[in-house]
Amino acid sequence: MGGTNKSTVEERKKTAWADWGYRLLPVLSILLLILSWHLASSNSPDSFPTIQATWERFLLLWEKPIMRVSYPGHILASLKRVCIALFFSWLIGISFGIIIGWNRKMDAFFGTIFAFIRPIPPIAWIPLITIWFGIDEFPKILIVFIGAVMPVVINTHAGLSSVEQLYLNVGTAFNANRFQMLFEVAIPSALPSIFAGIRTSTSTAWMVVLAAEMLGAKSGVGFLVVRGMDGLDMPLVLVAMITIGVIGALLAAVTNFMERRLCPWMSIR
Amino acid sequence: MDEHKVRLEISELSKSYETKEGRFQAVEKIDLKVYDNEFLVLLGPGNCGKTVLLNMIAGLEQPTSGEIRLDGSVIQGSDRRIGMVFQKLALMPWKTVMQNTEIGPKFRGVKKEERRKKAQSYIDLVGLNGFEKAYPAQLSGGMKQRVGIARAYTNDPEILLMDEPFGALDAQTRFVMEQEVQRIWEQEKRTIIFVTNNIEEACFLGDRIVLFSECPARMKEIYVNDLKRPRDVISQEFLKLRAMISDNTDLAL
Ligand SMILES: Nc1ncnc2c1ncn2[C@@H]1O[C@H](COP(=O)(O)OP(=O)(O)OP(=O)(O)O)[C@@H](O)[C@H]1O
Ligand SMILES: [Mg+2]
Repeated sequence: MGGTNKSTVEERKKTAWADWGYRLLPVLSILLLILSWHLASSNSPDSFPTIQATWERFLLLWEKPIMRVSYPGHILASLKRVCIALFFSWLIGISFGIIIGWNRKMDAFFGTIFAFIRPIPPIAWIPLITIWFGIDEFPKILIVFIGAVMPVVINTHAGLSSVEQLYLNVGTAFNANRFQMLFEVAIPSALPSIFAGIRTSTSTAWMVVLAAEMLGAKSGVGFLVVRGMDGLDMPLVLVAMITIGVIGALLAAVTNFMERRLCPWMSIR
Repeated sequence: MDEHKVRLEISELSKSYETKEGRFQAVEKIDLKVYDNEFLVLLGPGNCGKTVLLNMIAGLEQPTSGEIRLDGSVIQGSDRRIGMVFQKLALMPWKTVMQNTEIGPKFRGVKKEERRKKAQSYIDLVGLNGFEKAYPAQLSGGMKQRVGIARAYTNDPEILLMDEPFGALDAQTRFVMEQEVQRIWEQEKRTIIFVTNNIEEACFLGDRIVLFSECPARMKEIYVNDLKRPRDVISQEFLKLRAMISDNTDLAL
């Protein structure tokens, strides 16, 4: 009895240590990053702004708007473009992916065109879209949409065209009609795949919006990067870069949260 | 029990597949009558075509030749009166135990309240009360198989096909489940066609035992087993039946 008790206590101690370790490791890596930033910048503060300078630029940004848009205003401008584009890319991408993934004829019809359009990077659309729609909000959202819709279509298509025969057999054995087969069997079984597409589309949309803003915009985090570059304001570039990283990570966390809420069975081991 | 009322009649049933190496015969000329309310066991070595045969009865696969009659008329495709417990569990991981169990009546458009009541009664019957909201990934192998059984019963089939339902279970759980299935069958009589590759399981459960050859599945012999239930697996008669079947069996069983 005593022996087993002791070993369980020891084991508990061990797992407690491991828990702490896993919580500590990310903190450690961030500290290391900051330290190397500090070392790198203290040698050449002109070309690589120090932590101090970047922090001060960050505080200044809150007081002094750029192009009459505040710092949160720039973030919101980028986020608004991303969210609108993502909404439509999910709506249209999932529907289209389901149609071509479930229907052989549709797949044969659209598949080839899609294979051609797919490798064109969203940025390559900018000249055409600029000629067609100018440099307003809409063309930027459209470019983000083009980038974000591809992974959704591809993953949804993959999920629906590879539904396990076993599940389809269950549907048949219990006399599912075509509608039930699609909505009760095929789509739920493709959800992990669809969510993989949603995750990729979110990160793609965030990258594309920044690129689009860098090529021509009067607001947005991407615009801040260009502004810093043009004005030789390196601390501003760094503030913008860190903002991009943080918002990108937050967006990924939001999609993860959504996935866990909508597909609770997927997070069981 | 009216032993000789034929429910299901299989005649000259064959199935072959076209493969890269040529024609592959999985099931060859099966002739079989299944009586009302009997517990029929199909016993055969691994890979001999048992699942293919059941899939044809369930309407999941098209026979190459031959026909299947239910109550005298030929059936095509999946028939409402025939239910199936799958060999590979085949629970939908995105549905809870309750949602998996109620799937049959749900697809038929039965109202939620009504189908839930029915599903609940079978969940209770297989001993899963309290696990209604669990997902399959949270259940043990034996519990998953119980859900598969509850799901099939909830759809109220007149003929229940069970494809090696306990093949993946450990010996102890397996024996418990065998007793369980027998209990449910005695409580709610219906025709059961039960596939296994285990001689002891076959002798324990079957009213009749159909012995199959190696692939392609052909019928070798039909044994009538009228030992009193529940059967004593170490009684003289049981061991004798078991030995008789095992002597007549192809290798690899
Ligand atoms: N769709 C198919 N195409 C080609 N061959 C098939 C197909 N389905 C089954 N077979 C073959 O038919 C044979 C019998 O398969 P089946 O699954 O019926 O065996 P089984 O008796 O159920 O075996 P087990 O006891 O392992 O479940 C196997 O050799 C299998 O490879
Ligand atoms: Mg099988």
